[in-house]
Amino acid sequence: MSDFKETLKSQIIEQLNLEDLTPGDIQDDAPLFGEGLGLDSIDALEFIVLLEQNYGIKIADPNEGKEIFQSVNSLAAYIQKNQ
Amino acid sequence: MEIFITGSGTISSIGNNVAESIKSLRDQQTGIKLGAFQALPNYRVGAVPFSNAELMEKFNLTTEGSRTALLGMIAAKEAFAGHSIDPTIRTGLISGTSVGGMDMSEKEYKNFLEGTNHNPLNYRHHASGTSSEEISNELKISDFINTISTACSSAANALMMGARMIQQGMLDRVVVGGTDGLSSFTISGFKSLMIFDDEWCRPFDESRKGLNLGEGAGFLVLESEKSLVISKQTPLAKLTGWSNASDAFHQTASSPNGYGATLSMQEALNVAGLQPSDIDYINAHGTATPNNDLSESHAIKSIFKDNIPPFSSTKAYTGHTLAASGGIEAVFAIEAIRQGLLYPNLNFSTPIEETGLTPQLKFESGKTIKHVLSNSFGFGGNNSTVILSAL
Amino acid sequence: MYYIHAIASISHQDSFRNSNVYKSLTPLSDDSDVISPDFKEFIPPAALRRLSPVLRMGLAASIECRNQVATDFDAIVVGTALGCLKDTEKFLSTFLTSTSDFLSPTAFIQSTHNTIGGQISLGLNNHAYNMTHTQNNLSFEVSLMDAILCLNDGKKNVLIGAADEKIDFLATVQPDLIPNEFPLSSGASFFALSPAKSEIAIQAVSTNFNATNLLEDIGTFLDVHDISMEEIDLLLHSNDDIEAHFSPKEAINYLDFTGFHYSASSYAVHVAHDFLKYRHMAKYALVVNDLCPGKVGITLITRDEA
Repeated sequence: MSDFKETLKSQIIEQLNLEDLTPGDIQDDAPLFGEGLGLDSIDALEFIVLLEQNYGIKIADPNEGKEIFQSVNSLAAYIQKNQ
Repeated sequence: MEIFITGSGTISSIGNNVAESIKSLRDQQTGIKLGAFQALPNYRVGAVPFSNAELMEKFNLTTEGSRTALLGMIAAKEAFAGHSIDPTIRTGLISGTSVGGMDMSEKEYKNFLEGTNHNPLNYRHHASGTSSEEISNELKISDFINTISTACSSAANALMMGARMIQQGMLDRVVVGGTDGLSSFTISGFKSLMIFDDEWCRPFDESRKGLNLGEGAGFLVLESEKSLVISKQTPLAKLTGWSNASDAFHQTASSPNGYGATLSMQEALNVAGLQPSDIDYINAHGTATPNNDLSESHAIKSIFKDNIPPFSSTKAYTGHTLAASGGIEAVFAIEAIRQGLLYPNLNFSTPIEETGLTPQLKFESGKTIKHVLSNSFGFGGNNSTVILSAL
Repeated sequence: MYYIHAIASISHQDSFRNSNVYKSLTPLSDDSDVISPDFKEFIPPAALRRLSPVLRMGLAASIECRNQVATDFDAIVVGTALGCLKDTEKFLSTFLTSTSDFLSPTAFIQSTHNTIGGQISLGLNNHAYNMTHTQNNLSFEVSLMDAILCLNDGKKNVLIGAADEKIDFLATVQPDLIPNEFPLSSGASFFALSPAKSEIAIQAVSTNFNATNLLEDIGTFLDVHDISMEEIDLLLHSNDDIEAHFSPKEAINYLDFTGFHYSASSYAVHVAHDFLKYRHMAKYALVVNDLCPGKVGITLITRDEA
């Protein structure tokens, strides 16, 4: 599980161009949006691209993303459930 | 100083000229169709149903150009019909566009990627400024040429720039408006933003899901009083108010309370010397994206309080024509004033829960319409409002 | 007179926070690149990660101008000829090669010309008039005209600038579409203009979209402003014929120092400002831009002794 989350963090860093971060900088349970990494609605769309490209998961309604993209933990859980 | 409007022209999926377009609005006939853009057939778009070659032949165009330029020439020529070039009237052209010659560049860049038959000369129409030079060439206008590129508020800003140049004596007459041709680039771009509605777009409706794209052009001729004496044109209406303000909230999203839109509408009223109660009809930006229509509804309520005049979005007829929309909708506003028309907002059934506004739902004629306020909002939080008034 | 109260340029010269860019002009080598400041000083990481070079340059130069004048701008006017080329090319590649239902939106969002102006409004939290003009080689000059309209309208503190970026792909089209042997380059120059007095001012700018005789155009412009070429202390041009014809006191072809991009004349105005500022006997500098045939922009920069 923790390897999987490390991979996921690397994918997030690449997809979102978070050039100054390393996987170690992203806490598993910290909020990704708003106060957390400061991500926004554009990043939510980038997350959707990331899920489709890396895991073949398609999210058709961006509103669904709000809960899924709360943290690395919620994202990891969603991927494992839907893959 | 008064700014007179002495010509108007438009082409879009609902008509090749002003008369055809107003007829479509009267008949509540949309121009948006599934599969109307051949390269990407899975989308509902408002396309002008002619190829570039057909446009040139059908409308007797002599200047070659991108689709954006050709559509612009057609609308600008309609607006400028009856006018002539006169060395004593300093005449300019200011056009808004967001994609310029992208329809041609994207085909050529595909050749580049595929490594076959790449011909760099085919990018000669790419620059947005070039499309305006091509339109100017077709109209033989050369005293001043300018292109505004502020995404979906471009044409409204072109009207504003033209009015200010006349006011300050830099030009006597100026053809202003906007044009954008459909391209795979923009269709793919809005797809990436996930703000298309697979069905007909539903401006200001609670169930709205997003926009349908369109293409077209809308142009006006603005003249000073001094120019009118020489040109002997009969004015159609006046351009009385204009403004641009920044939302400064997010690169693409509008602020939830519509702060920039409120600033823009208020300043346009100030420029026109009007009160909100003077406005008889609002042509809203109304793209039918969840974000725009909510934000714009809040802004309209901030300005007009409990006395909101009839308002509607005409995007469900033409599709969102991006940089052209402010020009096309200014043409509609002029006819609303001249013919006393109110245009119905298509595909509406339920007000947005948070704001509760119901747009104009039936076509009406014979109204007294003295002042129309028209909104155009673009990426980058670029919010513009123009006000058109009866003579 | 439209007084210059701040300037910031990011270019292939060592121009950023350089108080006299005229003095340190260095001819470009073929492999020359932009000399950038540390953008992290100006732009928070959450915003910076998305910004292409033209956005970084435009935003940092604008923030630097804002810091110099220490007053909010009441209008922001940006010129760009080709806009956000890097993001445009990136999104072209994305959608032309992708078979996916989902496309990365960031490059599309940042590809519109007014992303520069929009990012400036966001970076400065500025709600004022925000305009983007794009008119090939005259993008800077028409923007300057809009800034002058703003000042005539009563605005007090107008930010005006121009920015363009080079991408490698441009070299592919250069032989066909850019008949010019100067190295392709990037640059952004921004100015804070105000009616309040300062030493150096923009006196006038003109455009001619139907220029058939460049030398005659320059003569007409000088006549309108009642100045002779003998009074011009520095002529900054993009065409050596002008220099040969007029034999001014001093002249430079600014493309030697900017390289070729369509907003290069904005940097020439920066050079003109610094020249006048530090050459106390000098009064006038003239920038002539004819990078596209038949399209001429002329800008007169003046020391205001009154």
